[in-house]
Amino acid sequence: MGATGSKLEKALGDQFPEGERYFGLENFGNTCYCNSVLQALYFCVPFREQLLEYYANNKSPAEAEENLLTCLAELFSQISSQKKKTGVIAPRRFVQRVRKQNELFRGYMHQDAHEFLNFLLNELVDILEKESHASKSLTASSPEKVANGSCNGKSNGVKKEPLVTWVHKNFQGILTNETRCLRCETVTARDETFFDLSLDIEQNSSITSCLKNFSSTETLNAEDKFFCDKCCSLQEAQKRMKIKKPPHILVIHLKRFKYMEQLGRYKKLSYRVVFPLELKLSNTIENTDSEYSLFAVVVHVGSGPNHGHYVSLVKSHNHWLFFDDENAEIIDESAVQTFFGSAQEYSSNTDHGYILFYESLAASKN
Amino acid sequence: MHRVASAGNTSNSVRPRKEKRLTYVLNDADDTKHCAGVNCLAVLKSSAADGCDYLFTGSRDGTLKRWALAEDGATCSATFESHVDWVNDAVLTGSNRLVSCSSDTTVKVWDGLSEGSCIKTLRQHSDYVTSLASAEKNSNVIASAGLGGEVFIWDLEAALAPTSKSGDATEEDCSNGVNSSGSSLPMTSIRTISSSSNISLHTQSQAYIPVAAKGHKESVYALAMNESGSLLVSGGTEKVVRVWDPRTGSKTMKLKGHTDNIRALLIDSTGRFCISGSSDSMIRLWDLGQQRCVHSYAVHMDSVWSLASTPTFSHVYSGGRDLSLYLTDLATRESVLLCTKEHPISQLALHDDGIWVATTDSSVHRWPAEVRNPQKVFQRGGSFLAGNLSFSRARVSLEGSTPVPVYKEPSLSIPGTPGIVQHEILNNRRHVLTKDAAGTVKLWEITRGAVIHNYGEVSFEKKKEELFEMVSIPAWFTVDTRLGSLAVHLDTPQCFSAEMYSADLNIPGKPEDDKVNLARETLKGLLAHWLTKRKQRFGSQASANGEAPPGKDVSTRNLTGSRVEVDGNADNDSAVYPPFEFSAASPPSIITEGSQSGPWRKKITDLDGMEDEKDMPWWVMDCVMNNRLPPRENTKCSFYLHPCEGSTVQILTQGKLSAPRILRIHKVINYVVEKMVLDKPMDNINSDGTGGQVTHPALGGDGLFRTGLKPWQKLKPSIEILCNNQVLSPDMSLATVRAYIWKKPEDLVLNYRVLTSR
Repeated sequence: MGATGSKLEKALGDQFPEGERYFGLENFGNTCYCNSVLQALYFCVPFREQLLEYYANNKSPAEAEENLLTCLAELFSQISSQKKKTGVIAPRRFVQRVRKQNELFRGYMHQDAHEFLNFLLNELVDILEKESHASKSLTASSPEKVANGSCNGKSNGVKKEPLVTWVHKNFQGILTNETRCLRCETVTARDETFFDLSLDIEQNSSITSCLKNFSSTETLNAEDKFFCDKCCSLQEAQKRMKIKKPPHILVIHLKRFKYMEQLGRYKKLSYRVVFPLELKLSNTIENTDSEYSLFAVVVHVGSGPNHGHYVSLVKSHNHWLFFDDENAEIIDESAVQTFFGSAQEYSSNTDHGYILFYESLAASKN
Repeated sequence: MHRVASAGNTSNSVRPRKEKRLTYVLNDADDTKHCAGVNCLAVLKSSAADGCDYLFTGSRDGTLKRWALAEDGATCSATFESHVDWVNDAVLTGSNRLVSCSSDTTVKVWDGLSEGSCIKTLRQHSDYVTSLASAEKNSNVIASAGLGGEVFIWDLEAALAPTSKSGDATEEDCSNGVNSSGSSLPMTSIRTISSSSNISLHTQSQAYIPVAAKGHKESVYALAMNESGSLLVSGGTEKVVRVWDPRTGSKTMKLKGHTDNIRALLIDSTGRFCISGSSDSMIRLWDLGQQRCVHSYAVHMDSVWSLASTPTFSHVYSGGRDLSLYLTDLATRESVLLCTKEHPISQLALHDDGIWVATTDSSVHRWPAEVRNPQKVFQRGGSFLAGNLSFSRARVSLEGSTPVPVYKEPSLSIPGTPGIVQHEILNNRRHVLTKDAAGTVKLWEITRGAVIHNYGEVSFEKKKEELFEMVSIPAWFTVDTRLGSLAVHLDTPQCFSAEMYSADLNIPGKPEDDKVNLARETLKGLLAHWLTKRKQRFGSQASANGEAPPGKDVSTRNLTGSRVEVDGNADNDSAVYPPFEFSAASPPSIITEGSQSGPWRKKITDLDGMEDEKDMPWWVMDCVMNNRLPPRENTKCSFYLHPCEGSTVQILTQGKLSAPRILRIHKVINYVVEKMVLDKPMDNINSDGTGGQVTHPALGGDGLFRTGLKPWQKLKPSIEILCNNQVLSPDMSLATVRAYIWKKPEDLVLNYRVLTSR
């Protein structure tokens, strides 16, 4: 254990970033799905900082009831406050909490990392919303005080704005679902929020082309016509998804596990999907390109959906690191492309990028 | 958000329904006006020098109208009613033949100068038919195109060839003629089949199949044919103009250039040039000989929906979504704004020196257009040069300033009535609140198809809240407004789920607890005329045929039909109660279909009594003629009646009771009172009802509630009934209490107590 740490330390030498900690996470039996996501989130610096800040402000252990948020905050604080620069930590309480909270993750089965990430973020949001609600009802007499100072609902606005927590601020983006009736050509737009984009993938493609497909036009016709309010009738319509508000942290989930109708089970798609280190989002409403930089990749290792292993690649202070449960090692940036997938169906390389974490360049400059 | 799933709007869905539906469309008081947007126009010039010109209009209200044109106005001289959905396009061919196409997937051929008789219904398309094209010099050729990329070329002579003995070619017969492509044998009357014993496959004339122009992968929204019928062009969401040989249906070329749906097409008389208008806001001129686009004109600010050209193809009139009508010189690219409308322009038709303009509004206007000498318009000034890039829409001479229209007022107007654009079914399930395109809010009583309140231009939402009633009646009908009118859909068996007391409908001469079934009475009201005609036609013969005249063998059917329910009194069966009397002055139309052919539409007063199971759903016939209703879900409501906590009165047993859902609380009060006064002897009988399906004899039969005033009632103690600790108004029905106060799926529990204060 210690040897790995020191090896990484030696590799980095003088370049070891000030105040940074690189710790492996112990596996409690198939908890690699959890470890890989935790590493990605830990090295999502704005998220980590805000979580630690939250932890510092809410550290009164007497009143604090243990929940997923406190467990995660505790874990991150534990890592960041380690005396040693490298090593291994056992995320015991956090994993116990996850298993307590959700029976899906209770067993020792192989789990889906994307499902876990989704569960975790939504759980965190729920806890924050509950807390804000509680504090709001306590301070109901002073209308000035709004949780997080984010939503000061205007007096004329009847609809209560949903609470925007720091989790939202990091991960939430808005998609617009535009439907145009082909008869009267009226466009109906509906917004929906997202924490991550799940993209269908194709062999030998790129994230850009997957995003293009994601925003491509779908025609509602034949048996599936659109009820146009303007025409008061069913008409053909064209529907497409556009990104209205790109998130600060863009999480892209590649749908590598596809249900095969003829097989009656899920199959892993090992397709080669190129993910660039710098990504331009062009399918936005304003048509202004948002630029992103890749900082973490959760990699699925293995050929099938029900077994295998998760590891993560993380970029920290311009170094790429490879985390595999307890192990952490430095890798070359060029090694990232070995996780794109394979152009042949049966390849010995089964390590494929599964969840990609991009941070907006525009926002980080501010 | 408004996907297909929305209830009540599935009427034109192609999905097979279990049983055929009956729809009735509440016509506006004024039958001489369209009540929804006009989709198409056709001008018929009089052949005689002093004759009258006619304009034909086809509307989203499902009808076509013929207008006799005079110098100072237009009068509606015929309504062509048979389509059951939007009329999308219409063309004139030959001397007076009118051909129309509709979202109901049919193409119909009419005698344009008749009183509105449909000669033939052509059923070949499987989705909405969007456009038609005719060949000016070959009256026999018609092309139709629609959604799903279907394009057909019809030899009208062959298509119209008589299917049965000619002479009494009524509309119903015709619609049997050409059946949908899928069925192998046309389901015509026995007569037809026997007359053609040599039927092998498609050798019969009725099996006429048009030429299919196959190749469109997506929907077609525009079509045009040259005057000899040797060239057909089509365009749609594929964004390409396809050119066909209509004689064989083979592709000749594909012209690319537009970047969005193609909505309008024209071909010149020689078949050399083609003009297209697109949702990309551009007009393009194509040289079919050279197979290329020779000009693109950026004139409009939004989609181009309609085009019309001068006879020499020197100028084009164009209208579209930007509410504007432009005239463009195809050679010099000079363009001028003729007029602006209040609604998007859907169709144009040149007529002498004017141009008819149809919009998504129900009225049609004629504007001056100098068709014979378009150059004159340009001399008035205000013209600009059309750009050639859609994005810039650059008007070279105008530098961004909005052009001023040449004409301010139309020269002739044919007003329509504003169509209904919003509706809400009220809780009493008899009234529907509507808002029309002009903002007028009205309240309709759908059981007699009449407006009972016109609130004027008020807030629809506010009025809706104002009219809220806490009553619960099963949803026995659905409504849609795609035809600009209220269309009420009845589906069996759910339409028979609603009942009301005759007394509440002010139907006199009925016992207090007499109930009427709303759908049955409505059907009787709708088909009263038909039934009269039928009786006249068949007279006593009817019973011999086994078609029972109403009320005769009801009793026997009652005995034999185990699950069949016969309501009401035989004597009054055929009588239509006043709340279900539909106006004869503005009769509603029914849309329905029977075992054969497809759906049809007719005014209820135009039914001739000949319509039978082949034309109407069997369940409608069974209801109106035999007084039989299909088995349906229980109209009873089970409940428990317990004393209030702490109440000293304890005279009733605890068994489950059952009563009609519409039973009022005051009846329950009466029941409690009777139990209290009559005391033990009566109680013994009632205690038998111990839950389950066993109906409480007294309540279930309604018998006790009918009892008149008896001497002991003078001593009647005051009782009140509660549910969930809330005192119930005596007017509430059990269903209402269940829906608004009990709010639970379990059996309703009511409590009673004696009022202490007098």
